[in-house]
Amino acid sequence: MSVYILPALVIILLVVCIIKRVKVYDCFLEGTKDSLGLIKSIFPYIASIFVCIELFKASGLSSIVSGWLSKPLSYIGIPSEITEIILLVPLSGNGTIALLESIIAEYGVDSYPARCAAVISGATETIFYISAVYFSACKVRKLRYAIPVAIFCTLLGTVVACALCRIM
Amino acid sequence: MNIAFTALTLISIVLLTFTSPATAFPTMLQGVMNAITLAVKLAAIYAVWLSVLKMMQATELDKKLSKLLRPLIKRLFKKESDETYGWISINLAANMLGMGGVATPAGINAMRSMAAEGQTVASPNMILLLIINATSIQLIPATVIAMRATAGSADASSIFLPTLISTAVSTLSGIILCKAFALSDTKKDKDFYVNGGSCNKKRHINAISCKVKPSFMSRKRK
Repeated sequence: MSVYILPALVIILLVVCIIKRVKVYDCFLEGTKDSLGLIKSIFPYIASIFVCIELFKASGLSSIVSGWLSKPLSYIGIPSEITEIILLVPLSGNGTIALLESIIAEYGVDSYPARCAAVISGATETIFYISAVYFSACKVRKLRYAIPVAIFCTLLGTVVACALCRIM
Repeated sequence: MNIAFTALTLISIVLLTFTSPATAFPTMLQGVMNAITLAVKLAAIYAVWLSVLKMMQATELDKKLSKLLRPLIKRLFKKESDETYGWISINLAANMLGMGGVATPAGINAMRSMAAEGQTVASPNMILLLIINATSIQLIPATVIAMRATAGSADASSIFLPTLISTAVSTLSGIILCKAFALSDTKKDKDFYVNGGSCNKKRHINAISCKVKPSFMSRKRK
């Protein structure tokens, strides 16, 4: 059913465009032009974050840090198998999906850690990526309490997710 | 951001120099390569979605959508321009439906329209929008369910409810914390005015940037 939603919405939009005599072709020309401008302004942010993520993973730092964190995190109900995914979630969406795949392969898709990892990948966002990209068009650089609050709330959601996976 | 970036990069490179010095440079290049691949993909996604957004603006459907979400958004984001409300409502609606391709450009435009000229410190409303986005308000985790189904799960969509509750918890707590911080911000401003110059420099800058913004916005609205 859900596969029909997007095409249907576009069809409705096109019909409304015809009724209101909007120049659809011109809209597409402008939209495409804007997209290149947008990419030009967000590319530096994506590139620097990706360099950082690659180094973080390749150096083994991510597994070292997740080793340190697994003990304290297990006290709040987060299984040690998924510490690394929690570390990667705020940084990289693709990295999270790759890691989720390896956790599913290692522990079985319906195992407790794999279900926790699946819920966490579905319920979280790439905090650092978003905060870099969203502010790419204006000069705001001091985000004050934004990132700590986002990380704290994500962690809270993660704890809830792991608890829910245990009972549901 | 600068501190976090420098620290992470430095520690990683130092570690790499000890473990496998030859891979340090290729790893960084790989990062940029990944960024280019993503940028090309995003350019395609944005080209289509921005065109759709242009059509929505031309037909004024975006205004109808923002009117629908207006009561909620006006309560969350106070004292912003109509343009900002429009972008925020597109951003939130797209997010809920899992259309990241529309959500990001709308979010970027919302941030730009909220920023006053020369503003370098984020206002409470900007932080709130960022946190709502960063705590994920997606309703259907389609990718993850598809992955579980491919891996042969007995009940692939069983994660739907836990995901929904978990996102709701993180987003709601984010909004509450944000509002609490914003409240203490206005108290800070009052303190600042009562105590005069006895505040430290950093708070001084914050207070000014927060105070300056609304007047800019109201001028823009006229």
